[in-house]
Amino acid sequence: MNQSAVLLEYVTRAYPGGVRAVDGVNLKIALGEWVSLMGPSGSGKTTLLNLLDGLDRPTDGCVHVMGQNLLQLDVDEAATFRRENVGLIFQQFHLVSYLTAVENVMLAQYYHSMVDKQEALLALERVQLADRAHHLPSQLSGGEQQRVCIARALINDPKIILADEPTGNLDEDNADRVVKIFQRLHREGRTLVIATHDPDLGRLAQRIVCLRHGQIVEECSPDGSDAAPRATGAGASHDRDVMHVTAS
Amino acid sequence: MFFRMLIESFVRRRSRKLLAVAAVWIGLSLVIGLLALGLDVGDKLNREMRSFGANIQLQPAEAAVDVRVGGYELVAPGRTVYLDEADLPRLKQIFWRNNILAFAPRLTTQARLAGRSVPLVGTWFNHHVLLEDADPFVTGAAEVFPYWQARGAWPMNPESCLVGAALAQELDLGPGDRVELTTDQRSTSVRIVGVLTSGKDEDEAIVAPLSVVQRLAGLPGKVAEVQISALTTPENKLAERYGRDPQSLTPAEYERWVCTPYPGSVAADIQNAVPGSSARVVRRVAETQGAVLGRIDGLMLLLGIFVLIASTLSIMGVLSSAVLERRGEVALLQAVGAHRADVLRLFLTEAVAIGLAGGVLAALTGQVLGGWLLRVIFDSASEPHGVLLILAPLLGLLIAVAASVPPVWRTVHQQAARLLRGV
Repeated sequence: MNQSAVLLEYVTRAYPGGVRAVDGVNLKIALGEWVSLMGPSGSGKTTLLNLLDGLDRPTDGCVHVMGQNLLQLDVDEAATFRRENVGLIFQQFHLVSYLTAVENVMLAQYYHSMVDKQEALLALERVQLADRAHHLPSQLSGGEQQRVCIARALINDPKIILADEPTGNLDEDNADRVVKIFQRLHREGRTLVIATHDPDLGRLAQRIVCLRHGQIVEECSPDGSDAAPRATGAGASHDRDVMHVTAS
Repeated sequence: MFFRMLIESFVRRRSRKLLAVAAVWIGLSLVIGLLALGLDVGDKLNREMRSFGANIQLQPAEAAVDVRVGGYELVAPGRTVYLDEADLPRLKQIFWRNNILAFAPRLTTQARLAGRSVPLVGTWFNHHVLLEDADPFVTGAAEVFPYWQARGAWPMNPESCLVGAALAQELDLGPGDRVELTTDQRSTSVRIVGVLTSGKDEDEAIVAPLSVVQRLAGLPGKVAEVQISALTTPENKLAERYGRDPQSLTPAEYERWVCTPYPGSVAADIQNAVPGSSARVVRRVAETQGAVLGRIDGLMLLLGIFVLIASTLSIMGVLSSAVLERRGEVALLQAVGAHRADVLRLFLTEAVAIGLAGGVLAALTGQVLGGWLLRVIFDSASEPHGVLLILAPLLGLLIAVAASVPPVWRTVHQQAARLLRGV
């Protein structure tokens, strides 16, 4: 259908009572691109990520991810799509409390295809957690839990990684480790969409998309080029608002 | 991985799981305890209600016309409508032999005592009925008529007798006195060992061992009637229909009637076993027992339903909240690619395990509880009920699944995104 990793067309997510968490957003993200979603709390970053991973559905507009129109998928098909294509990283980690680190990684393998403990251990090794593989989440620090979450997100070799405030609950050292993982993933050619408040993390992306009140109010590159504010709303034209950015 | 998740969920969240199992266990124990009591209470009450006296009376079939004076059947010389005492052990050889709790034959005549005619009643006291292939069955008037009260002792040999309380007062007789009983045929001297209060006609009679009366009446080996105390089931519509018109029953209904210890079917079995006899149900006793048992059964059923509902709601509350507090986990599983059926399967398997574990425990403790209640109320031991050993785990499974499905179902149909954000 197209070569982009993400294509959003006039996407709106409204809640009962008239609140529009995402309001007429048009956005295109190329394969292999690293995009940071930035903006104040309540600006719609997390909602936008949830629309991209199929955990939520827009009330209006179209969401294409890796060429798949997510609106055509029911809940179970969306789950299948996620396990085949998407790696999710949460601010709250969301590890299963009664499973060890390696078992949490194996959980994603189980729903994807088949369990391979060695591979899961290798994934933990890649996030420098091999020695904590058999610890329960309650026995791990926040940074360690986040790295387990990343290992779980990566275990099925996803085409796109969606991360919601991945360093939000981490100290500086752990945040640095996580950032290095993202940089490595980007070098490997994966598409990264990271919602963050952290300007240091945000600046590492190729493109920063700023949201406010559910609308994209600015897009820029970290070095300041292409910094012109872009008003994107329900009334904006498609050609003007859909960004065409090629991964460097 | 599925079983690993299941096992780890139980091992590493054992306090939560134990709480859930305990909820099923305790809740179902009450239900099973009540059911165990309910299964036993009819039998125990039935035995308790033996105090009403015999509920089946066996008479000679030809004794269509009774000659009674003052409530006593007069035995005319030469009259041949008697039953043979030798046939009575057959009562413990019939199909319903285990339901025959006690029986006592009776032979009544008139004897002369202190210059006046008094009723002389012969019956068994502590009589050992010899049975083939079984221990002797000990029965007698004291067992059939629990309301008989003897001040003094019960007659234990052919030289002893009881004197009715009214007659004792009238003739100034009491334990230790020796009296001479005379009939047209014979006379004998017996010693009074007790004063009998029955509240009935026996209060004005001499009550002696059957052999004494048979000898005085010149009717060796004969009895005029047999009072039988049998364990029966309250009559229902089927039994009533049989009573009105036995021909109206289909073969299947008749089979059911025969195989249920209704007073009528037990009486019919008895009548078939004793030659030349006619067994009739003492309606007053049987109906009173039936009415009381019917009400008790209704009460137990009502109580059982209430306890089942209360326990089910309580179990469902605990299990539902256990599932609801794991909504985040449900959402996470969906986020990493689990289908709704995968999530349901995981939680339902957990529910089945919890329900079965709680149910098995409840099957054991419920029966202990039922046995304890039976001991407290009836001072009687209970026997294990195999059906409850199957029913309890089945109930536990059903309740646990019923408690878990709605919250899991609701959760998998909610927006996983909202659940992951804790909304």
